[in-house]
Amino acid sequence: MDLVDLIAEKRFLGQEFLTWLWWKSEERGGVVALAEEGDIVVVFEKHMLLEFGEGDSNEKLICKGLQTELQEARTGLIMGKKLEQARIQLVHNDYEWNFTLAAALMEFRNVKLPKTAGPDNVNDPEEQEGMVLERIFLYDELVRIVLSLFKSFLQLRVGDAWRQELLRVREWVAQAEK
Amino acid sequence: MGFIKGTASFVRFSVEGDLPDNPWDFIAERITTFSFRDIDDTYDEDSLGWVSIHNMFDTDFNFASYAAGNYVCLTMRLDERKVSGAIVKKFVAKEEERIKKEKEIPKIPRAMKVEIKERISAQLLRKALPVPSTFDMCWDLEKSSLLFFSTNQKAQSLLEDLFKETFDLTIMQQIPYLCGEQLLSEEEMDKLAVITPDIFV
Repeated sequence: MDLVDLIAEKRFLGQEFLTWLWWKSEERGGVVALAEEGDIVVVFEKHMLLEFGEGDSNEKLICKGLQTELQEARTGLIMGKKLEQARIQLVHNDYEWNFTLAAALMEFRNVKLPKTAGPDNVNDPEEQEGMVLERIFLYDELVRIVLSLFKSFLQLRVGDAWRQELLRVREWVAQAEK
Repeated sequence: MGFIKGTASFVRFSVEGDLPDNPWDFIAERITTFSFRDIDDTYDEDSLGWVSIHNMFDTDFNFASYAAGNYVCLTMRLDERKVSGAIVKKFVAKEEERIKKEKEIPKIPRAMKVEIKERISAQLLRKALPVPSTFDMCWDLEKSSLLFFSTNQKAQSLLEDLFKETFDLTIMQQIPYLCGEQLLSEEEMDKLAVITPDIFV
């Protein structure tokens, strides 16, 4: 199968992951446990984009708001819309990232890296290289953690425990109606 | 804003294929061959090539400035001359009016219209200043993966072509399903290949 077909056919995988991660983060008040990393902070904030239908009939729903429960977004899930983008705060080992995850293609958008000191002298090639390596490390670390979360999801998704997990996600989605 | 400063957007690619035994020599030579060529003083319509991530005018890469540890960090620069449709339309109409008066004809024949449009478009394109755009990338030689700092699909497709031409290696966007191949066992992957969307409500 070529990449274009694969993207279309497996589009749901990233979107299901993002929805699952939203539930997972709310389940323990913004903390998700990862097998090899321990607890990490995953908070869904401010901005979400849901979509429905494909091609010409594609509809999008944008939900924004500070400290909201994103109730409208959850209602969107009930209406059968898929979560395609979400703004996420991720904290691990004193590092904090803010980024928007676009689920279908796993794009990392508007990534704000943890604050670092920065080079003293931007013209010094060695300091420049150090700065570049530091930024690469921070990007890689973000990717590594997101992929660890994705791996947890995938193992669940293809395993026997998924039916049980799915019932709990459905229960959580249904709470939006109350 | 890209990889060096401020906020950034990126996508991941895997790099398929092997580098020669002396990878750094090969990389140095290929980057020089495919470095960006300026078109400010020519009439070329566009130009695509590599520049330093620190400075879009640096195509010399002194002290291998693209190398950082096991990573190759480069900026893909595209300069393009563009003329807006409205400008082309205006100058084509102007030229048609001039010819009608000069030849004393009421209407321009179709073949001549085509010729006028082509000629005027080419003239305007030569006058237009090249507009630069830059896109950063960071290639991890150890993991054979690459971060590309743009979610623009046209830019991604240009990168695929330029990367292939430069290093003779193919890159493949790491969509969630393909990430699964790196993360799961063979048995799990077989199951992933056949799952269908689930309803979350």
